[in-house]
Amino acid sequence: MTVEIGHFALVLAFALALVQAILPLAGARLGDERLMATGAPTALVGLAITALAFAALVAAYVASDFSVANVWENSHSAKPLLYKVTGTWGNHEGSMLLWVLILSLFGGLVALFGTNLPATLRANVLAVQGWIGAAFLLFILATSNPFARLVPAPIEGRDLNPVLQDIGLAIHPPLLYLGYVGFSVSFSFAVAALIEGRIDAAWARWVRPWTLAAWIFLTGGIAMGSYWAYYELGWGGFWFWDPVENASFLPWLAGTALLHSALVMERRSALKIWTVLLAILAFSLSLLGTFLVRSGVLTSVHTFASDPTRGVFILMILMLFIGGALALFALRASELSAGGIFQPVSREGALVLNNLFLSTATATVLIGTLYPLVVEALTEDKISVGAPFFNLTFGSLMVPLLLVVPFGPLLAWKRGDLYAVSQRLFAAFGLALAVIVVSYALIDRMSVFAALGYGLAAWLIGGALTDLALKAGLPRASLGVAARRVVGLPGSAVGTVLAHAGLGVTLLGIVSVYSLEVERFVTMKPGDTLEIAGRTLRFEEVTPVRGPNYVEDQARFAVFAPDASPQGEIVSAKRVYTARRMPTTEAGIGTFGFSQLYVSLGDPTADGGIVVRAWWKPQVTLIWLGAVVMMVGGVFSLADRRLRVGAPAARRKKAALPA
Amino acid sequence: MTGFWIVAAVLTAAACAAVLLPFIRARKPPAGGSDIEVYRDQMAEVDRDFERGAINAAEAEEAKAEIGRRALRAADADAASARTARTRAARTLASLSVFAVPVLALGLYWSLGSPGLPDQALQARLAANPTENSIDELIARAERHLVENPDDPRGWDVLAPIYLRVGRVEDAVLAYRNAIRLNGPSAERDAGLGDALYRIAGGIVTAEAQAVFERALAEAPDDPKANFFIALGMAQQGDAAAAVERWQAMIADLAGDSPWRGAAEQALARTQESMGEPAEGNGPTAEDMQAAAEMSAEDRNAMIEGMVASLDQRLRDNPNDADGWRRLIRSYAVLGRQDEARDALRRGLEGVGLSTDDGRALMRFAAEELGIEPAGNP
Repeated sequence: MTVEIGHFALVLAFALALVQAILPLAGARLGDERLMATGAPTALVGLAITALAFAALVAAYVASDFSVANVWENSHSAKPLLYKVTGTWGNHEGSMLLWVLILSLFGGLVALFGTNLPATLRANVLAVQGWIGAAFLLFILATSNPFARLVPAPIEGRDLNPVLQDIGLAIHPPLLYLGYVGFSVSFSFAVAALIEGRIDAAWARWVRPWTLAAWIFLTGGIAMGSYWAYYELGWGGFWFWDPVENASFLPWLAGTALLHSALVMERRSALKIWTVLLAILAFSLSLLGTFLVRSGVLTSVHTFASDPTRGVFILMILMLFIGGALALFALRASELSAGGIFQPVSREGALVLNNLFLSTATATVLIGTLYPLVVEALTEDKISVGAPFFNLTFGSLMVPLLLVVPFGPLLAWKRGDLYAVSQRLFAAFGLALAVIVVSYALIDRMSVFAALGYGLAAWLIGGALTDLALKAGLPRASLGVAARRVVGLPGSAVGTVLAHAGLGVTLLGIVSVYSLEVERFVTMKPGDTLEIAGRTLRFEEVTPVRGPNYVEDQARFAVFAPDASPQGEIVSAKRVYTARRMPTTEAGIGTFGFSQLYVSLGDPTADGGIVVRAWWKPQVTLIWLGAVVMMVGGVFSLADRRLRVGAPAARRKKAALPA
Repeated sequence: MTGFWIVAAVLTAAACAAVLLPFIRARKPPAGGSDIEVYRDQMAEVDRDFERGAINAAEAEEAKAEIGRRALRAADADAASARTARTRAARTLASLSVFAVPVLALGLYWSLGSPGLPDQALQARLAANPTENSIDELIARAERHLVENPDDPRGWDVLAPIYLRVGRVEDAVLAYRNAIRLNGPSAERDAGLGDALYRIAGGIVTAEAQAVFERALAEAPDDPKANFFIALGMAQQGDAAAAVERWQAMIADLAGDSPWRGAAEQALARTQESMGEPAEGNGPTAEDMQAAAEMSAEDRNAMIEGMVASLDQRLRDNPNDADGWRRLIRSYAVLGRQDEARDALRRGLEGVGLSTDDGRALMRFAAEELGIEPAGNP
């Protein structure tokens, strides 16, 4: 019964999404408050019903109900419980249902927390969310129904793709979808503003927390995906400029630009039209990512089974929403009043510069991602645009952007004093120079470029710390006063510092790995040792191990520090999943400080040895820790009470109003 | 089933209630916030920045003045858009929606869903009354039990013949080996294992299978399965006479209702047939010859060609048939197709075994009567 209730709930959610798409919109047109007010309850009940459908599917997975075709295709009764649950979204149908669930979650949140919104804006936003939800629910019901049944039910499932049987599947897709779909709220706000033909500072203030939340999740999702690929695919790469990765990176770039431009709009009422456009673009790029990954245009571990009708359907959704929003933009943008004016050298100017660089970078990555697809569609030639293209173009756009990042937060609004800001950044500049010189002089195999990369990272971190110190009143105030002020700083200020410092931390990791990585590729027998970056790796033994749904040969390596003291053990394995007879490589990773020793097994040789690939990856974890720092910065900024319009804390300051 | 419809009805009612809620509620829904609150908030922030010393008094004044100007504009706009109404059209739309939601949901579910199909959680299926289980479910059940108790002797004993029956021969071999390991050999287990080995080998009684069958016979000399396969092995090795003798003895000993009687009789007939004793249905029948005599030369050739081709095909499937090969080689030689005759001789030698008596006889026959040497290196 559960399964059929889930199916019915899904159908009902579609019907309700249609109502949510039409009634509030009609209400806003007619000016009828009751009709407008239907948006919130339909969104909330829609969320509950969609959640019920999703829960029914999860229950079917947990119970190994192979009468559900989707469960049979992607699950196995011997799988550990965690992977039964995560397997729910480890396939096309289930992941689309998760997508819709998160969409209705955001709709429900807007309904709950949007009580302060002007009634028409709220109605229109919820209606646009309803349109998106209805379109994707229809897509699921028409082409990818997860509740299709199988009679008679097979006795055993086909198991989940072994690469996906990992804790990463529990974290990466939900985070990524929270990010992707989170931008739908910004999109809905933008479209609602265009429908109303009215946009103001308040709009930016309402949009920013949603964008920020989506951005935090997307940052986490991308970082998690990168770390997952790093340890699961067995050769320790962390970013491949793979089209699917780019598909998630594009909305991130656009979203980052949107965060900054929304700031200008909120504070200075400027960049309104641009901000609306960015909000549309950020979600459009999310949709494009969904299309690229889900249509089967690209083949990767993300693609699952592909079906041409799905691709066409998503393409239609894509054209409807992107085309519709851009057409509305073209019609209405001229009606939006232009904002305030400002000097080129000012906080606004710096943020415009940020947007210029970020949108150019977005366009670059977009072209690099789509160009091979277009060429293949037109000429049937297969070309690939790989890392060299992206490193060159994207890299040369990022370096100047990162160079000016520390200036931004120090410049005053409206008109800034570049000379004064430069003086304040003198310490950070000195730090960067010192890092360049010291790292070049002291570290072996350090290239000039790598030293400059270190310098840039130090410049970013130093700049962020300078910002923090200045906001705390240093150097005029005493240390005690400064410490108290740091605690009392508004969350958004701390958020800026952390996000920019996080960039530096990530950069530090990337430069270290690119310039100082050591790789060894040898055949080893038990008892053999391997010298890598000063450490010694001793191959102890190979033991066969039986897991719940796989068998593996575990190779154990003892690690010794340069002074020969033991530093624990690394276990690397070759695993075969019995249901699909599919082998995977389980890399062994030892973490030493921020660096990692990465050991991956190759094939056994005829004389009883085994091919071992080992990498020393200096400071590699900083790549992801930097992302975590950025996320924490985002959370600080999101928690800033000033963003919650009409919250009690803001009301108490009524006395401060002059009028 | 009724449970499902009750839940579905409750869900539908909740969905309809969501649409109707604003119309039922007597009090006015909250009017919603406006831009003014943002500007109020911004003013407060300017004050805070000033207190902190982040901006000076002049800057603070200027900022507040600008915020004030925007607040005034926003207040005008709010006043202009604040007019709301209660329209008749709204009521109609909402009523239509309340009607449409259940109709749409039920209609779609009716065409997409499987109403009344119960859940089939694996655990529940396996825990159900065994008589209601399908054979696959029974197997899964036994497998699950054996994963937990791999040394349960009875489990393997039960599972092994079932595997054999559903054709999972590799699993059957494993299960029989486990049963023998845990319970010790018995005629039944050994014969079953031999059967499985015979099927894995694609219908050949291999040396390994033969050894197992012989062990079974040591336990129970009149085990029909073991006897049958030993005889089949003899026939496959070309010792048709011994096989016939064995089958005949076996049929004589068998109880009248033994399921093995039919199989043994058929095998016996086939073997005798290939030995050429009662050569029925093997060569052309009298009717065929009669028909051939009445045909035109062309048609006759076609018929002969057809018979040769069918003989050729039969020997490909069943190459251990010295008489058949002899006939085929002769036919090709008579038809003047020397190359094919040589090829048939080569295949025949492979089929019956080069060093067997049959093989030597075949080679002699070909060389002496037809002057044909085998093609290639046999």
